Amino acid sequence: MRRRALVPGLRAVAVASVLAAVARPVLAHGGSLGGGARESLTVPTWLMLATGGAAVGGSFLLASFATDRSAIDALLDGRRTLRLPVEPALRLVAGALGVVVLLGVLVTGYVGPTDPLSNPAVVVVWGGWWAGFAMSTYLVGNTWPAVNPWRTVVSALPDFGRSYRWRFGAWPSVAGLLALVWIEVVSPLADEPAVLATTVLGYSAVTLAGAVVYGPETWFSEVDPVARVFRYYGAVAPFGRAEDGSPELRPPGSAVSSDLLDGVDEVAFVVALLWVTTFDGFVATPAWRTVARWLVGLGYPPALLYPGAMLAGFALFFGLYLLAARLARRTAPTYVATATLARRFAPPLLAIAAGYHVAHFLGYFLSLTPALLTAVTAPLATVNPPLLVVPGWFGGVAIAGVLGGHLVAILAAHATAFDLFPGRLQAIRSQYPFIAVMVCYTMASLWIVTRPDVPLPYLP
Amino acid sequence: MTDATQRSGDGFGETHGDETDDDRTAYDVPSDETPVECTYCGRPFESDALLALHRGQVHADVITDDERAAYDSAHEAESGQLRRFRLKALAVLVVIYFGFLMVYALV
Repeated sequence: MRRRALVPGLRAVAVASVLAAVARPVLAHGGSLGGGARESLTVPTWLMLATGGAAVGGSFLLASFATDRSAIDALLDGRRTLRLPVEPALRLVAGALGVVVLLGVLVTGYVGPTDPLSNPAVVVVWGGWWAGFAMSTYLVGNTWPAVNPWRTVVSALPDFGRSYRWRFGAWPSVAGLLALVWIEVVSPLADEPAVLATTVLGYSAVTLAGAVVYGPETWFSEVDPVARVFRYYGAVAPFGRAEDGSPELRPPGSAVSSDLLDGVDEVAFVVALLWVTTFDGFVATPAWRTVARWLVGLGYPPALLYPGAMLAGFALFFGLYLLAARLARRTAPTYVATATLARRFAPPLLAIAAGYHVAHFLGYFLSLTPALLTAVTAPLATVNPPLLVVPGWFGGVAIAGVLGGHLVAILAAHATAFDLFPGRLQAIRSQYPFIAVMVCYTMASLWIVTRPDVPLPYLP
Repeated sequence: MTDATQRSGDGFGETHGDETDDDRTAYDVPSDETPVECTYCGRPFESDALLALHRGQVHADVITDDERAAYDSAHEAESGQLRRFRLKALAVLVVIYFGFLMVYALV
């Protein structure tokens, strides 16, 4: 995501350093899994889209050969409860670390170097936290509740414990996620450390106020979009918590086939998580520029272009997903309610979201590791740190991330269907609409990453 | 519903204390249809075969001999359908594979 915003800063480095000049194109395309493929393959776009769609559809057909219930259950079992003898101490350390990093980001954001690659706030937030830490939440386990500095700070503050209106459910966090990504796309968050620090300050004010008023448990489990993102990513991870709260080790991706979500509002958050990734890429395509110019030509206010696209695209994605849940009642056939189907088939999509995150951020994270080290060791110095050169074959890792995410999602959806329905053929048929949605999503994502990146229109 | 239905921890759904049951599946039967219902748990089904399969899987330890026989024959019938489905799925996979092989050779 951040690749685009970091490009101007990186370009400055590239002029000075041959190393960075080599790394820059890789980093610039770090977010797109088409980056490597686009340069090495001369496959027409339609064939690339068709291949991606067929890979997803074909994996579903292959998965449909697995109809033995005991075998499917065996895949999901093998949970092992762990014991962490020093858990309270670890929590204390993690909490303290989180607060120190938050303070460091705020201080260096305002007084640190203005060169984004030398500024600790920028590299820690984007490289360390949103790329590196986020990857750890789905590859290892969600440690955010322990690290979350705002939770640590709030625990020292009074709790008014005002009751939260449950009918809002997860919708405030859906709105929060869309708003955060909108801010990220339209503002120079990765280029101007002071803007980043101000945004973090604003987020801190809202979060602390909310957590004090409604109580930290309610706030971080219901309203806060960041905690929800990491909690949902954590469902894909091999380490998690069992129902009784004890740490457990499980096959990666096995938890997303259980009944995690409470309602359609939480389904909306899962869909929003997938949509914001797409939105981030879509607004950099020439197609969006054409649409934006056309809309503004019709008299649409430019200031509302990005919020409008964000909401319209989310409504489209969510609508398509709910339509798939409705259709599944007919293809199965089943009397299970649409809302239940939507709820049960949404968690597998988290594996897809994680796969796209790997594709976007693994190379980005690795290339920024020297900058991260420099930021920690010499926070106030402008040093023009080198960028780690990510080899060309690394584009393959990005593609493997996306394919792996899809594969886990398909297997998890398959297991979910066998959990829901008594008939084996019924379980297979119930997945048709969801697989169709996944195929469309894959093709749309591939289409976006094969478009050339253009500057975002109508932004200052 | 098999026994595999489990709610993972991970902090999911902790604040909704009102939902403690394992099975939170809701049903929605169109008013113009007459479902067959499971006598053990009341779950509605679209056909006798699906009901028989459900009884054999979820209520295996309490069903009568007749219901056991109905489960066996429904399972058998479904296995036949499943074999035909697999043949079709295999055919589609072969078409996809060789189709793309040829398209890639030509493009």
